[in-house]
Amino acid sequence: MKIALVGNQNSGKTTLFNLLTGSNQKIGNWPGVTIERKIGIIRNTKYELVDLPGIYSLSPYTVEEEISRKYVFEEKPDLIINIIDSTAIERSLYLTTQLLELDTRVIIALNMADIVEKKGIFIDVNKLSRLLNTTVIKISALKNTGIEHLISHIRRNEILDNVHNRIYAALIEDAIEAVKITMNHSRFVAIKMLEEDVMFTKYQNVTVKAKIKEIQERYDSDVEEVIANQRYNYIEELKENVVITKTVKKSTTDKLDKIFLNKWLAIPIFAIIMTTIYMLAVGVVGNFTVDFVDTNIGLFGQWLGVRLEAINTSTWLISLIVDGIVAGVGAVLNFIPQLMILFLLIAVLEVTGYMARIAFFLDKIFRKIGLSGKSLIPFIVGSGCSVPGIMACRTIEDEEERKMTIFLTPFIPCSAKLPIIIVFSSFFFEKNQGFIAASLYFLAIIVIVISALILKKILFKGKTSAYISELPEYKLPSAKYIFRDVFDKTWSFMKRAGSIILLCSIIVWFMLSFSWTLEYGVDVEQSILAGIGNALAWIFYPIIGEYSWAATVSAIQGLVAKEQVISSMAIIAGFGEDVTTGTLIFGSSIFAFFTPLSAYTFMMFNLFSAPCFGAIGAMRRELGSTKQMLKAIGFQTGLALIFSAFVFGVGTLIGVIA
Amino acid sequence: MNKKILDVGGEGHLSDLMIGQKAVVLALHNDNKALRRRLLDMGITKGVIVQVKKKAPMGDPVDIFLRGYELCIRETETKNIDIRVVG
Repeated sequence: MKIALVGNQNSGKTTLFNLLTGSNQKIGNWPGVTIERKIGIIRNTKYELVDLPGIYSLSPYTVEEEISRKYVFEEKPDLIINIIDSTAIERSLYLTTQLLELDTRVIIALNMADIVEKKGIFIDVNKLSRLLNTTVIKISALKNTGIEHLISHIRRNEILDNVHNRIYAALIEDAIEAVKITMNHSRFVAIKMLEEDVMFTKYQNVTVKAKIKEIQERYDSDVEEVIANQRYNYIEELKENVVITKTVKKSTTDKLDKIFLNKWLAIPIFAIIMTTIYMLAVGVVGNFTVDFVDTNIGLFGQWLGVRLEAINTSTWLISLIVDGIVAGVGAVLNFIPQLMILFLLIAVLEVTGYMARIAFFLDKIFRKIGLSGKSLIPFIVGSGCSVPGIMACRTIEDEEERKMTIFLTPFIPCSAKLPIIIVFSSFFFEKNQGFIAASLYFLAIIVIVISALILKKILFKGKTSAYISELPEYKLPSAKYIFRDVFDKTWSFMKRAGSIILLCSIIVWFMLSFSWTLEYGVDVEQSILAGIGNALAWIFYPIIGEYSWAATVSAIQGLVAKEQVISSMAIIAGFGEDVTTGTLIFGSSIFAFFTPLSAYTFMMFNLFSAPCFGAIGAMRRELGSTKQMLKAIGFQTGLALIFSAFVFGVGTLIGVIA
Repeated sequence: MNKKILDVGGEGHLSDLMIGQKAVVLALHNDNKALRRRLLDMGITKGVIVQVKKKAPMGDPVDIFLRGYELCIRETETKNIDIRVVG
């Protein structure tokens, strides 16, 4: 049996999905977290459950809503679980009345039953079920109540059959019947035809056209509006029968919004929150763990080398393990503590409901540069990883704003770029490490603004668009979910270290140890990698002021994964002579040329140039064509080259004068 | 620019309302058919009571309370919604 989860945005579908299937799909407290369908099996059953993006109506408005309608309409699930946010029952039932017009059976899960009663609102479930002719079950996905009840109803097949209630005025109901009979279609299709929905207009016949005219003349407005009005009239009546409101007290949300949406405080508070997040992730634990892990990985490498020698391991194998694998993989594992802090803080930001506020109060500023307030959500999600960030762009209504946001999301330093920032800033800007890291994030914002203005001029011609969104209530984050979210993300980073970074480390080691004639143990300057790097080093000369093959090949490896830049540098450094002790990378003669200025501009290039292959793939999928994707990465890399070379030039000039 | 302040019974656009004011929706104009449909779907139909609850720091977009939930829309949309103030 195929079951579809359908409901409004932010009504708790994914929370219920996770509960029913035992998975840990991403949840958040803003409208539109789920942007594609997810499939799972309900625990202890054979039922397939499909989690769909939230919709308000079966007339989709954005890309991800289209996915839901298509699924419900074309793939015909055997059962729809219509999840309703009890706190917004009126608006939720609007979708319900449409689902009930389909020929699919519907069971209603009345979610957030616990919250609504605390607010002094009581819903008579039995009466609602009787009036709608549908099974209604009260649940709380967050508190895990009523879920067993819901499952047992599904298992025992105790679901009322879908009887189509007559909910419109006689004239409309007659028109629906007439269309149904002449065209042999369901009630749902008949209504859509009368509404002149673009998906169905091509099937219109004389009867449909005549009926549309009749309704328009009677009500002096289009059928779409007449039907929407009457649907809501029916719901208002229904609500009067089943909902009793006792007390409505001033909510905590309103009190909090007095601060977070305050005219003067909103933006400063936002700036403080974001700065704190990056200061904590990069600064506080940064130095400590880097030094600690760095030293210990160095010691571990030495220890392992001695052990391997003791059991007569050949020199090249020791070198591969110690100089290649331990140095390369170890270099990225260094950053797990910082990444966990970053993941934790972003998760908290996502589930509290603050994200929707940021989108709300920044909308006006963002609109000035051709973006939507909703662009902020991909940016913040993108500070964890660009791939989900790029996908989160689907909730943006306007095509151009959406594409522009896809172009810009990779500029936000993702968690894999964190190692680059930490390594460089902890060595070159020891005292101001947190400040330098934060400055890069603000620089990212500047890059985004400038790019948006350029893109608006050359690629996308600005036009007016809409911003329609809900402002959800604030919620306390669920510790269990956050813990799993941080764990999942950290685990996937570790898996990447164990697979792709490991593989690359071996390749890098090989290319460093062998010459073009496949001779082992040559001087590093004669190696294959140095050869490739030397051929391309001119590209990076304007940025770092040095023809460095090592920096060149490392930066290029950022395409595989951004943390690979550091991994590669760590391996290469091991092949050079130590000029100072203590630091693995910058203590090596190969990277000794870096100055604070070139360190900063090299970071800039790595942060703003084309993202990793994973993100490039996501951009291709979401932009819909390879051409657009090439435009995007060309734009990003070009901008990164010019901007970092400019800063290097200006910095050098100031250095000369001063 | 001084916006006219509407008293109870006064008619105007949703964009004229101040924080806390309640009004009944009289008509919804919008040239963009899909957008108009979306606003209808979100519950902005004739006769519905709306209340302006919050405004973004720069006055736009606004957060309005209707049908038991809060909806954020831009001034470009609220300008096209006719209302009569009820409280």
